[in-house]
Amino acid sequence: MEDQFKIAVIGSGPAGLSAAAHAAELGLQHVLLEAEAHLSNTIFRYQKGKYVMAEPSILPLRSPVSFGAGKREQILEKWNQETGGLKVNQRLRSEVTALNGSRGDFTIKIADGSIVKAEHVVLAIGMQGNIRKLGCPGEDAEFVQYQLDDPDEYNDETIIVVGAGDAAIENAIALSERNKVIIVNRRDEFDRAKAANNAAVLKAIADGRIQCFYNSGPRKAEDQAERRPRGVLVLNTASGEVHLPCHRVIARLGATPPRKFVESCGVVFPTPDPTSLPAVSGTYESNVPGLHIIGALAGFPLIKQAMNQGYEVVEFILGNKVEPADEPLLRSKFGSLPGFTSVDAALDLVQQRVPVLAPLTRLQLREFLLDSDLRTPQQGQTIFERNDYSDSFYSIVEGQVEIELSAGDRSRTVTLGPGEFFGEMSLISGRRRSATVRAGQGCVLVETPRRSMNKLIYSVPAVKRVVDEAFLRRAILANIAPDAPPETVAQLVSSASVLAYKPGQTLFREGEVGDCLHLIRKGSVTISRHMDGRDVVLAYVPAGQYVGEMALVSNLPRSATATAAVATETIRIEGEAFKALLARMPTVRERVQESYKTRLARNVAALQQPERGGVIGFLMAQGIGEATDVLLIDESLCVRCDQCEKACSNTHGGLSRLNREAGPTYENLHVPTSCRHCEHPHCMKDCPPDAIKRAPNGEVFISDSCIGCGNCQRNCPYGVIQMGVEDKNKPSLWRWMLFGGREPGAADHDHHHHHGGTPKKAAKCDMCKSLPGGPACVRACPTGAARRVSPEQFLRVARKD
Amino acid sequence: MAAETSTEPTATVHQGFLVLERFRYLKLASLLCVLAIVAYWWHQPASGPGGGTWLGYTLGTIGALLILWLTWLGRRKRKYASRLGTVRGWLSAHVYLGLSLLVIVTLHTGFHFGWNIHTLSYVLMLLVIASGIYGIAVYARYPSLITANRDHGTRDAWLAELDELNEQSLKLADALDTQAHQVIVRSIDRIRIGGGLRAQLFGPREAVRKAFARVEQELGETTSFMASQIRPARGAAAISPDAHSTVMFMAGQLASSTQDNENAQKLLDLIARRRDLTSRINRDIRLHAQMQIWLYVHVPLTFALLAALIAHILSVFIYW
Ligand SMILES: Cc1cc2nc3c(=O)[nH]c(=O)nc-3n(C[C@H](O)[C@H](O)[C@H](O)COP(=O)(O)OP(=O)(O)OC[C@H]3O[C@@H](n4cnc5c(N)ncnc54)[C@H](O)[C@@H]3O)c2cc1C
Ligand code: HEM
Ligand code: HEM
Ligand code: SF4
Ligand code: SF4
Repeated sequence: MEDQFKIAVIGSGPAGLSAAAHAAELGLQHVLLEAEAHLSNTIFRYQKGKYVMAEPSILPLRSPVSFGAGKREQILEKWNQETGGLKVNQRLRSEVTALNGSRGDFTIKIADGSIVKAEHVVLAIGMQGNIRKLGCPGEDAEFVQYQLDDPDEYNDETIIVVGAGDAAIENAIALSERNKVIIVNRRDEFDRAKAANNAAVLKAIADGRIQCFYNSGPRKAEDQAERRPRGVLVLNTASGEVHLPCHRVIARLGATPPRKFVESCGVVFPTPDPTSLPAVSGTYESNVPGLHIIGALAGFPLIKQAMNQGYEVVEFILGNKVEPADEPLLRSKFGSLPGFTSVDAALDLVQQRVPVLAPLTRLQLREFLLDSDLRTPQQGQTIFERNDYSDSFYSIVEGQVEIELSAGDRSRTVTLGPGEFFGEMSLISGRRRSATVRAGQGCVLVETPRRSMNKLIYSVPAVKRVVDEAFLRRAILANIAPDAPPETVAQLVSSASVLAYKPGQTLFREGEVGDCLHLIRKGSVTISRHMDGRDVVLAYVPAGQYVGEMALVSNLPRSATATAAVATETIRIEGEAFKALLARMPTVRERVQESYKTRLARNVAALQQPERGGVIGFLMAQGIGEATDVLLIDESLCVRCDQCEKACSNTHGGLSRLNREAGPTYENLHVPTSCRHCEHPHCMKDCPPDAIKRAPNGEVFISDSCIGCGNCQRNCPYGVIQMGVEDKNKPSLWRWMLFGGREPGAADHDHHHHHGGTPKKAAKCDMCKSLPGGPACVRACPTGAARRVSPEQFLRVARKD
Repeated sequence: MAAETSTEPTATVHQGFLVLERFRYLKLASLLCVLAIVAYWWHQPASGPGGGTWLGYTLGTIGALLILWLTWLGRRKRKYASRLGTVRGWLSAHVYLGLSLLVIVTLHTGFHFGWNIHTLSYVLMLLVIASGIYGIAVYARYPSLITANRDHGTRDAWLAELDELNEQSLKLADALDTQAHQVIVRSIDRIRIGGGLRAQLFGPREAVRKAFARVEQELGETTSFMASQIRPARGAAAISPDAHSTVMFMAGQLASSTQDNENAQKLLDLIARRRDLTSRINRDIRLHAQMQIWLYVHVPLTFALLAALIAHILSVFIYW
């Protein structure tokens, strides 16, 4: 059977649903194809009762289907009703497996073998990808499930968990409290999971709380409705077939990213990076004519945006020009641009003036500018100061800025003019600003937040190239060869390359021939030496500094091993080019030799105190190498009064963001579970409303626009984010003293369970940035045991004066 | 800039309250004492030194104000959002200025002591100060002892492990025979955490209560049942679930070596581990209790002192 439609919409998330509803409303021949048995699978799979938020609140909704903040169930129910009312032609359980053709003649293949033909296709399959199934007969049996909402629902069952990632481990451990749990791992390790989960599952297996089949995979799932328990999972193991009777199989095998499928439709992704998204035009059209992409797949991670695009894309297909829903927002942003006439003219101007933005499509530019802010600072006004912790990126549209290279010295400045950009150093290194920037005359700047800039860098290769090149040139100029003539710098740049290292990977080893220098541009490195059969850590080197110069200066083999403490990127400069530089520039030579001497002296000193190396090694193993500010407790001073936790809870709505007791201890140094304000915060990675920000003093905090999706909680490797509801009423000190009841700072257990309809949001340490004088935990510690420090402060730069 | 790389951990990151700001408050308190002593030497009233002279009034007022301020620490401690100094700074000053009372108030009295309300308040003050000094001593010693006893564990993890060990030993015992099972059940019932009533009364409040709740829930016991069992012999802790008898019984099983030698050996290992754990947990609770219990003397005495002081001041004005 073949059907012919004007518009075929693939995927019934908010984007596709809205597109199909608008097509139905206009009476167009359309079909909505959805792989699952229900509409909008991503939202269907949210946790039961989740409160869905309608961010960004300033953006108006433009869709025939309604949407407002509310419970998941209500929203889904309403969408079902409204699509029914509009007579949307929906085909559920119709996974699209192939898509060929172009405008006017698309052929869509569906998993059941049927074919659909359409003139235009709207691809709205989101980013969640397809859940990986067992991949064996019986994978859809009733006793096989691919999600677990509430582990407490199951008691006294035999449950087989298939998978070895975080989700599988967390489920298995939670279920093992009241059930017999068997975990099936295709490999012989759980090392893809977070360290804590890995340790927990190994312990549970060792203790016999969970049974594990390693190197095993499912072969067949048999449903025997008449038997108890009804299921049997047959496994292929190293030692042959095993039949496991069970009540339930929970498979947590992750999802296949949609990229492969999208590429098979002819759509091109700009870079191989996994965060890269297909480029679409201002009318959401991809490089395949007639194939439109909207929603999360087009880079718009929120429901409201997705729904607006659903409406707009149908209008565009009909050839109508609609003013995009964000037009008023852009207009209000650019109204202050000198000589503003229309948004389009302003966009043209920005794109003409700023070459880095030239390769962007209109839609990318709109999105980019929507996230950005237009700044028109007065002449002489400071845009950011050296040592600020801001991480936004600035492009100069008009006028000039002055960059002050050395602190307090206004004579050594560099001037940047229209079309140039600055701020890429902190963006890439995740560290403090390395220079102060002041506005010149008639300055018009576009300030872009970190996330939007990173998105651009990862989806437009031309942007990445330009930014990387500028970084390379400026970093070499600032850190290695200041005052060098341009051609010398150009030579060094041409010999340089950017290398990436995983945590624990070595840059170079003791005893090797030194053939290059590494300028660390991101992450940090430890320097260690092998002595008496073990590695003694000598030093920690943060981003912005270089390692490996010693062998080049001395012409001796490497005297120590350099290891990436966290994910690290370095600029590798070839030894020959560096030696040539030294030969040509005596000032550089002197500085490098000076540093060589101090480093040598320090290494000798450090070797005499191997116990210090032990502390550095311990801290690095705790991920302090990527921290900017970490809470450390000296257990020889800590009287376990928990004042620190109480202070946190009392100043943060009854929700402590700190667990004093948890966390590792080395000798008397304890690293409690508390945010470290990472240089490149993992928590920021996947936050749909971009609610996690960094304040100028370095605090990583979560703003009110959090939608409670829990991504940050999952992404933080240090387990310091929790989901909860703040209580605005503080217990009164006088009432407690006179009548008892809840003591100030004491956790309010009732409140956590009875927070009514208030949605849970992510909560983490904000270093009490709203209170002057620093974090409350430290201020409340009576003995001085608790301190927040940056790694540099702790591993103090010890100079020989 | 790039040259100043290499780094060393420094011990100066943490600064305890006693050494704060190079002993700023020690210096301040010493100054106060020296001034008071000099004034006392210099001032030779006709009626002899005492609380009734102008210097006596001055020193008495300073002392009383200091006491009020020392008491205020309890409030500052709980005003977590307060920006008025750090609690560490307050405690540093509390300790040294509290000690200076020994000089200031003693000089105020002019060494007149007797069986009266005045001397009662003086004695109460000495007791508060003595308990404070004891507090400093335990604060200096116990934190490291606790860390050493912890040996990288946490109390929650210990309790969870204990629970597991109990379960495992029951399973093993089950496989042996019913008598073994019964012995193990009894030994589990005998596990005491927190050392009974005493620790409950005087121990670290929350910690012990939590521990009790956990154990109670886990072992399905009620407090009343626990109370009816043998009380710990002496000392706050003293638990020994695997009393000699359990081990002897197991050893007997091993020796008689009927069938399941291997299981019995395993069971013995489990029991040994369990014994180590319970003693660690109890030591942990005891150390916490000993470190914190003095505050339950310090604070009530403070309030008694305040009451006596009010009486003293009223009485000197009334009977003047
Ligand atoms: C836990 C969580 C909480 C969130 N909370 C919020 C919130 O509170 N507010 C908010 O605004 N946003 C929230 N988001 C983001 C929001 O869910 C997404 O931005 C939105 O769902 C994207 O819509 P979409 O239509 O582009 O794609 P999706 O909603 O992902 O829809 C894609 C649909 O396509 C179907 N599909 C996929 N492949 C095929 C195929 N080959 N053939 C046929 N059909 C296919 C899928 O089954 C699915 O139904 C949250 C996200 C997560 C993960
Ligand atoms: C506002 C503060 C105070 C005032 C006005 C005050 C006043 C006095 C006076 C007038 C006397 C002399 C009484 C007499 O000679 O019979 C006295 C004596 C004394 N005061 Fe105070 N006093 C104060 C604070 C204190 C404090 C803080 C303490 C100790 C905790 C204290 C302990 C004593 C003692 C022990 C005596 C000696 C009693 C005696 O002479 O028999 N006073 N005080
Ligand atoms: C008359 C003098 C003193 C008075 C009235 C006094 C009063 C108090 C009060 C009210 C507290 C608060 C307890 C709480 O709320 O938890 C306290 C705590 C404390 N005091 Fe004193 N004190 C006095 C002298 C001293 C001295 C001389 C020392 C030490 C040498 C001392 C050491 C301490 C310590 C260590 C704490 C505990 C702080 C903490 O753990 O939070 N005190 N005192
Ligand atoms: S929440 Fe976690 S990932 Fe984010 S900054 Fe803190 S420690 Fe780093
Ligand atoms: S406030 Fe200080 S002494 Fe008290 S528990 Fe926290 S770190 Fe330990």
